[in-house]
Amino acid sequence: MSSTAAPTRPVGVDIQESETNRSVVEAIELTNVDCTVQHIPGIVRITAPGRLVITRESVEARLGREWETHEFQLAIVSYFGHIKEWDDDEIVIAWDH
Amino acid sequence: MTIAPKAPRKLTMKQRYEALTRDLDWEPSYVDKNDVFPYTEFEGIKIHDWSKWEDPFRLTVDAYTKYQAEKDKRLYAVLDGFAQSQGHLSLTDASYLNAMKLFLQGVTPLEYQAHRNFAYLARHLNGPGPRFAALCQSIDELRHTQTEIHTLSNYNKYYGGFHNYLEQHDRVWYLSVPKSFFDDAVSAGPFEFLIAIGFSFEYLLTNLLFVPFMSGASFNGDLPTMTFGFSAQSDESRHMTLGLEAIKFLLEQDEANVPIVQAWIDKWFWRGYRVTALIAQMLDYMLPRKVMSWKEAFELYFEEQMLGGLFQDLAFYGITPPRHVDDAIGEKEVLSHQVYWTLYQFSHAAAFTTTFPDVDAMSWLSENYPGTFDKIYKPLWDKEAKNLAAGGRHFARGLPQLCQVCQIPMLFTEPGDPTTLCQRDSVYNGEKFQTCSNGCQWIFEREPEKYVQAWLPVHQIYQGNCGGPTVPDVLAWYGIEEGDGGEYKGSVDNNNWNTWHNLADHSHIGSEA
Amino acid sequence: MAVKSIGMYEFPSASRQELYGDDQLVHLWFQENPWFCAAACFRAPKAMTWGDFWNALVVPFAEEDPDFDPVARRVWTLHGETFEPRDDQTLEEIGVEHKDVIGMKVLV
Repeated sequence: MSSTAAPTRPVGVDIQESETNRSVVEAIELTNVDCTVQHIPGIVRITAPGRLVITRESVEARLGREWETHEFQLAIVSYFGHIKEWDDDEIVIAWDH
Repeated sequence: MTIAPKAPRKLTMKQRYEALTRDLDWEPSYVDKNDVFPYTEFEGIKIHDWSKWEDPFRLTVDAYTKYQAEKDKRLYAVLDGFAQSQGHLSLTDASYLNAMKLFLQGVTPLEYQAHRNFAYLARHLNGPGPRFAALCQSIDELRHTQTEIHTLSNYNKYYGGFHNYLEQHDRVWYLSVPKSFFDDAVSAGPFEFLIAIGFSFEYLLTNLLFVPFMSGASFNGDLPTMTFGFSAQSDESRHMTLGLEAIKFLLEQDEANVPIVQAWIDKWFWRGYRVTALIAQMLDYMLPRKVMSWKEAFELYFEEQMLGGLFQDLAFYGITPPRHVDDAIGEKEVLSHQVYWTLYQFSHAAAFTTTFPDVDAMSWLSENYPGTFDKIYKPLWDKEAKNLAAGGRHFARGLPQLCQVCQIPMLFTEPGDPTTLCQRDSVYNGEKFQTCSNGCQWIFEREPEKYVQAWLPVHQIYQGNCGGPTVPDVLAWYGIEEGDGGEYKGSVDNNNWNTWHNLADHSHIGSEA
Repeated sequence: MAVKSIGMYEFPSASRQELYGDDQLVHLWFQENPWFCAAACFRAPKAMTWGDFWNALVVPFAEEDPDFDPVARRVWTLHGETFEPRDDQTLEEIGVEHKDVIGMKVLV
């Protein structure tokens, strides 16, 4: 078990597979260029080195309607990392140290 | 249909959150603050600034209730559809439900206990931020209790083992394992509870507990449980956040908190890990269609994500991986086999059934445990196969030695030697106590005053506190009925399953007298 | 006191010997026999003879093992030392105390 620095240690989120969340997943992929998307039954797992960002604007663009970041509550199944920010415009998952 | 409001907000999310939580707090003017919050000093934890507690979800009551109601609606729609369509007939096999009997009896009552203790925290933590987070979690846990009961109530119409889960949680031998785990937590102080449940259970071990059940449900046709899982998991991400914030907050408030928190991590990792022994056997033995092995789950959800991820983060504060973690890692190829072998020989006294692993199951076990299954455990099953062929069925004709701390039968083996049972001895006030492992012994010796009070089922049966001296007396006291336990083949569940699937006309299923 | 508590924290042990009257809990560890998942726990009078302990308690439990041979030569251990029980000795005389674990291994 090696000690890796915070910027590269993977963070991730598991999202429930659904029609609405398809757009959420697409938005996340566009916002995070080096993320990896994996499909396991019922779940979409998105991982990224060090930091993952979900922006309201990008989700609204894919979804075609208004979306508030609180609505992410209906999508998230699990996550690993630390929620560094959650406001009206974005959610950020990263490690602290 | 959009859930998001159309009118522009006057305040940002951060401002709204502050206005509806922290800004509603006040300094008491005619009562001493220590009298308002009398429980947050006795554990030795030092808090200098409660306002430093961060709640990243920034939920306010309006958003909370809106989204929780939506989750409930979506879940109940699925439960209704499943019930209306006789969905239980599309399970892989009735024997799958043994996993869910264990869940309802063992886990659901813990959700209720969590609800109670988080409600206590919602009153007794000094800071409004953590109080509100605890309040949301308390309501979440009550929702989980309710939704689990509703999810599984449909199966209660057709299958044994579900009908008396609450009383059984308080009385039955294997259920004292989860029960005593939570009793230990709710009888601890508020900060220890936060680290025990908020952090160790809801963050460190949560995926090991939840994902196996929910994936198991998904793979075995259990649509309601799987849907419940998704519904609850979105709450769990808030719980994980609360747990992680709890530990960081304590560590950042005062250096003196670090060794106290470390000791709690050491204790609660091990206590929680021992409870996951029930999950390990479920994953490897109770699911007709397998998801992943316990070994794989442990490696991914604990070794990789927690040791490799989280503890790297906590190292900044001087926190080290849990004491005895190496013993847990060392058990990953033997744990499930030892536990199922135990449940197999004691299910005549349980509210679930067990059975001999079939040919496919044996191959799967052999493939997934190349280092241990064929060498150590297959010989036992071969001996039992001969026993069955001769008309026998391995059921123990007595009671086992129990660990004073985890209360599991002392079925665990010495680290590094899976052929020798692990026995640890301690003496307190002139009385002997045994524990199953280095971890449980360390826990006992650290707080013996607590564990000498353990209500050990075997000892209580021998004291005559469990209905009577004979097995039938005890089973009656447990409220275990015909069809609840024993051997699966030839059981009520098994026979019904075969009847229902062989019939062309299903119109009267569930309505037989 | 190791437990941090609000006020006094002193409670009696829930399985102390006096709760069993003249009896004790006695564990029997079937060493090197994985048929039994854990050591067995019996309740037995302190004044019970080894012979009675063996015949009335141990054998009915142990004979569920298809390979159980009641007359096989065995090594017995108590408190880390081997001992040779005689049928007429009481458990108390042998030195068995409340919740003790007796080790039993068949000589191959």
